[in-house]
Amino acid sequence: MEKIKITVNGKEIFGKSGDTVLNIAAENGIEIPNLCHSKELKSFGACGICLAEEEGNKKLIRTCSAEAYDGMIINTETERVKRARSAALELIMSDHEGDCVGPCSLNCPAHTDVQGYLKKIAEGKDSEAVEIIKKKIPIPASIGRICPHPCEANCRRRLVEEPLSIAYLKAFAADKDLESKSPFVPEIEKESGKKVAIIGGGPAGLAAAYRLRIKGHSVTVFDAMPEMGGMLRYGIPEYRLPKAVLKKETDAIEKLGIVFKNNVKIGENEDFENIRKEFDAVLIAIGAWKDAKIGCAGEELDGVFSGIDFLREVNTGKIPEIGKKVAVVGGGNTAMDACRTALRCGAEEVYVIYRRTRAEAPAEDSEIEEAAEEGVTFKFLTNPDEIIGEDGKVKAVKLQVMELGEADSSGRKKPMPVKGKFETVEVDSVITAIGQKCDAKGFGSVELTQKGTVLMNEQNGATNLEGVFAAGDAVNKGASIAIDAVAEGNLAAKAIEAYLCGMPFEAFEHAYSKREVSEKDYFEIVKKPREKMSVKPAGERKKTFDEVINGFSEAQARNEAKRCLECGCHDFGECKLIRYADENRINTGKFKGVKHNIFTERKLISIERDQGKCMLCGLCVRVCEEKIGKGLLGFRGRGFKTAIKPEFEHGFEIEGCANCLECANICPTGALKIIK
Amino acid sequence: MRIIIGEGSCGIAAGALKVHKALEKAAEGKNIRIGITGCVGMCFLEPIVDIYDEEKLVKRLVKVSENDAQRIVCAAEKNDYSDIDDLVISKEDEEFLSLQTRIALRNCGITDPTAIDDYQKRGGYKALEKALSMSPEEVIEEIKASGLAGRGGAGFPTWYKWSAARKSESKTKYLICNADEGDPGAFMDRAVIESDPHALIEGMLIGAYAIGAAEMIVYVRAEYPLAIKRLEKAIKDAKEAGFIGENILESGFSCKMRIKSGAGAFVCGEETALIESLEGKRGMPRLKPPFPAQSGFKDEPSNINNVETFANVAWIIANGGKEFSKLGTENSKGTKVFALTGKVRKSGLVEVPMGMTLRDVIYKIGGGIKNGKKFKAVQLGGPSGGCIPEELLDTVIDYKALSETGAIMGSGGMVIMDEDTCMVGMSKFFLDFTAEESCGKCVHCRIGTKRMQEILTRMVNGEGREDDVLLLEELCKAIKDGALCGLGQTAPNPVLTTLKYFREEYDEHIFEHRCRAKECTELLTYSIDAEKCRGCTLCAKKCPAKAIEGEVKKPHIIDKEKCIRCGACSKVCRFGAVVVE
Amino acid sequence: MSKYKSDLSNLDEVFEKIENVPENLITVLQKAQEIYGFLPKDVMYHIGEKLGVKPAKVMGVATFYSQFRLEPMGKYLVMLCGGTACHVSGSEKVAKAVFDYLETESGRTTKDGLFTIEKVACLGCCSLAPVMMINGEAFGNLTPEKAVSILADIRKKEAAE
Repeated sequence: MEKIKITVNGKEIFGKSGDTVLNIAAENGIEIPNLCHSKELKSFGACGICLAEEEGNKKLIRTCSAEAYDGMIINTETERVKRARSAALELIMSDHEGDCVGPCSLNCPAHTDVQGYLKKIAEGKDSEAVEIIKKKIPIPASIGRICPHPCEANCRRRLVEEPLSIAYLKAFAADKDLESKSPFVPEIEKESGKKVAIIGGGPAGLAAAYRLRIKGHSVTVFDAMPEMGGMLRYGIPEYRLPKAVLKKETDAIEKLGIVFKNNVKIGENEDFENIRKEFDAVLIAIGAWKDAKIGCAGEELDGVFSGIDFLREVNTGKIPEIGKKVAVVGGGNTAMDACRTALRCGAEEVYVIYRRTRAEAPAEDSEIEEAAEEGVTFKFLTNPDEIIGEDGKVKAVKLQVMELGEADSSGRKKPMPVKGKFETVEVDSVITAIGQKCDAKGFGSVELTQKGTVLMNEQNGATNLEGVFAAGDAVNKGASIAIDAVAEGNLAAKAIEAYLCGMPFEAFEHAYSKREVSEKDYFEIVKKPREKMSVKPAGERKKTFDEVINGFSEAQARNEAKRCLECGCHDFGECKLIRYADENRINTGKFKGVKHNIFTERKLISIERDQGKCMLCGLCVRVCEEKIGKGLLGFRGRGFKTAIKPEFEHGFEIEGCANCLECANICPTGALKIIK
Repeated sequence: MRIIIGEGSCGIAAGALKVHKALEKAAEGKNIRIGITGCVGMCFLEPIVDIYDEEKLVKRLVKVSENDAQRIVCAAEKNDYSDIDDLVISKEDEEFLSLQTRIALRNCGITDPTAIDDYQKRGGYKALEKALSMSPEEVIEEIKASGLAGRGGAGFPTWYKWSAARKSESKTKYLICNADEGDPGAFMDRAVIESDPHALIEGMLIGAYAIGAAEMIVYVRAEYPLAIKRLEKAIKDAKEAGFIGENILESGFSCKMRIKSGAGAFVCGEETALIESLEGKRGMPRLKPPFPAQSGFKDEPSNINNVETFANVAWIIANGGKEFSKLGTENSKGTKVFALTGKVRKSGLVEVPMGMTLRDVIYKIGGGIKNGKKFKAVQLGGPSGGCIPEELLDTVIDYKALSETGAIMGSGGMVIMDEDTCMVGMSKFFLDFTAEESCGKCVHCRIGTKRMQEILTRMVNGEGREDDVLLLEELCKAIKDGALCGLGQTAPNPVLTTLKYFREEYDEHIFEHRCRAKECTELLTYSIDAEKCRGCTLCAKKCPAKAIEGEVKKPHIIDKEKCIRCGACSKVCRFGAVVVE
Repeated sequence: MSKYKSDLSNLDEVFEKIENVPENLITVLQKAQEIYGFLPKDVMYHIGEKLGVKPAKVMGVATFYSQFRLEPMGKYLVMLCGGTACHVSGSEKVAKAVFDYLETESGRTTKDGLFTIEKVACLGCCSLAPVMMINGEAFGNLTPEKAVSILADIRKKEAAE
């Protein structure tokens, strides 16, 4: 074997003549992507991923078989190679039937590894579960209690009977962890010497602070309020999220070495430009703390409260004078919080005024239900026409009766006034909760949207100002749910991290494979209903601010977590296909078409085969034949319908299979799973 | 007198065996010998019967039926043909042959394929004798001088392959003949084997001698039972005559020969897949390198050529490479056989010198388009080739010139299309074929051709999407670059050429839901022209969907919702009142 | 265990004539199909054992080539030509009519076991396009109606017998 020199992507490397380009590159630490190659086996050439351009050759070569020769010049990153490689990956993905990650995680704005932590909870390893959760959510006990859980709405278990109680299981694990002797504490990387200012200590700011601190940066969080937590602290009522729980979580964050500076309002007692000068990067995460106006006569009267102000007052321990009869305007979660809080502040008659019907109300179903149970009267299809006062004080509210018309651009039916139809309700106060606005004053020349929110580039969290980033309710489209703010905080942290290291950053979507399923895919799963969470009786709970829910018992929580169907792929972390798909930024949906429709799962003593994820690389076939000498696996059929199947002497697998598991170990995707 | 019946597969399909039987019966007790020959090449005139006086062709009779047997025998007996004037080939049709230059097909339709002495009478096995007197290197030199290139499609110089195999060191080299002719619309190789199997054997023997092969294998398509039968007989006869076996013609050169029947897989026409199949495996192409010349069948050096290539070899050795190279163009020497089919008036086997224009082949030899229709395109190279439009009909038959159009020379399929052929439908037809025949090994071909097929199916069903053409183009490029073997790499060609020359048809399908050839039924609408309709009620009776209503003697109406676009009404209407759009 | 109980001794002669090596798998499968009409599973296992080929490979080969059948064949093998010349002459419509009439699809056998129908690449009778071949006999210049009437005639004939 003579020593030869070849050039791969401009780098000169050495190898032995007669060896393949792929092997020589690998020996020199250059990975040429491939899905059907193994050094132990003969080259096969199926995947079409290891392509390269060879100087002087019009055709692309497969580096897994091309013999290297002295002076050979290879390029694996030309446009032509990238195109052909991406196409191969896109084609494989178009024929790949499987979920890389479960729909729970995909639909969680923060992409929390739900399947991962549920498994830990099912196993009784709560702190390990929290470790997984905190990779995305640093305040799980709080978020778990109040999250409207898009994860549950998309949980596949709903196709069996009911979705898992994902959100609360998160709170359960976090509570257990907080109560434990050694709660989970993340490792902090070496101090970077970089300083980051986070303006706003709500879910977005806290998430970013947590993540940046872990990376070793020095982080200071400024907040206008006396305590951290933002809307979780001052917007969400105590009966939904006990402040003690939130405090434990913010304390844990502070303990990581983050400096909390409360009662600091930018533009009032602190100058934005000073902060910019003092810190290497700044995150604006000030939330949306202003209420939208109803815009009807009488809104200036004494006894008209903004929902956010009202809730904040109550959450700071003051009970505003709302009287015995209260009207709450709005159909969202803030309206529900306001009406239920009003009851707890001593109101006897509480009305919710909402111009559409219950079906259109954006509030959580359970919130509406619980409010009704507590005695709130819902006046759907009504809209305040005028707030009638007497001596400058609210006396009644005149309601315009509405009806639903044509659907508008958002798809919701537009409420239309019914001409001449009104009713009047006598009330002592009116609480408005029809939307939140951001007050972004004091941030100098930071560019705002027409809505008055901070304009943020959603690809990288950046604002128009150098080193200034933004996240949460204060940006772009405005207020949303807390987990959205957490997700944006995470994104901003990544962007800031990259910025501090002088690296470019762009958020990208994983090229995940997703299954399309229906009830019939789950017909054989044994039904096991969702654990019922006990709540305090309505009559009892409406008088106090105590937490409404009683939580899960230990057994309930373990049982509930065990209901997880584990939709996500077991091989996700090691799958070469998704890695290359991501690296090549492929468009998974580009070549959408029918899939190879072979779904039989067949066991090979202790291996389950998922044909949907098989891409016919043939590694299992070849390892069984070439390395083990058994040859139990073979290709079946031809063309698009080709499949890999085992075939045994006289149909008896036990005699043939050595149970060596080599096939499962060599599988580059999750098509073969070892069953323990 | 001899009466010879053309009994190639075509002739037999047209009824040659019945004619043969009838002639034998009619000739019973008469001094007339009934014999057979292979394919004359004039498929459009089958069954064909030739009357010979000794070696001289006296009359060629066409479209003969068994009922003609009696009068044919009588005429031959009397040597007076006035009675069968109606059967005699026309002057015009004779041109079909007279305009050709036949080398590979030199004996087709003349000799009896089952008789080795017939072949020898026409100089058969003399070239082998000559070759054996030369050194293998000299033989290769002669082939080099001829400029012969692989007739299977790719056009790789034959001498180069032979020389590479010659240089590979091994005691057991193989010479393989690829007779897995799979292109839909191609039957040149079948005709050669059925009509002149010894030409193939002799060519192979010369090749085997040149490379030093110990065994010759012919891999024949399973669908060619007659070819296999005749080749088996020819091999047996050649063995008995001492042309195959030990110490051939006392030269010291020994070589065995056998046939291997394929089992139905187009991809086995790809040489490495063919080798896998020979080894009894699934016909999935191997990676190259190593090339077959280094490591092929049973990992031994193997040389693979196509039938037509071998059929030229004996002629070249006998007449000299120079003589062969006088025919053709700068880049392409000799002749090429085509299977001329489709909407052409005269279909059949055509062998012409390289350099002839497509127009001459189609119009002069093929007689132009059937039924007075307008020419639209000529498809060359089957699923690996492309469609050439009218404006390029003056392109000459030449490897380079043809590939510049986007099509390829191919193995010889030449299908003519007229205005009634939908080019999108044509693309779909070929992709249906390649997707079906893809071996399934590599991603680009297995999934890529499937996706192309899906997109084209959408288009012909009127469900094409705005960006489908872009998507198709992207797939084409990727598959060409990424597929493992020739089948995959060339699969996009039919689509690429139609996109290049007939793009407007794609756009019409996608944006206007219109098929100008009126072939895509999903895109058609049927209606009745009230002015022409006489109210005969025939269409209403024939309509399987009961979609036509109307009173007797009053114009009828088609309910477009119910109409299944089967075209039955249009076929039965005697007044041309059904309008198809 | 296989549900078939084929008489494996029918193959003895084949194994005597043809060298028992993996290379001859396709040839032996072809002979076996001639004998049994199709390839029963136990026959394939037996062949694999004799030639030294693993069952998975035998199945791989038997399902790769379109000539091999894993289920019994009908009395009449109808091959519909799908070659280019036939295509441009309207073979798709003929095929559709035939499939509709026999209520089956390519590669399958009709319920009455009479017809096995198959779309093939090219029968090589291009000048007779469109063509179908029934048990080796070619029928050319077909129209959908003509094709169906040929099959109907066979059905009638069989019913009469």
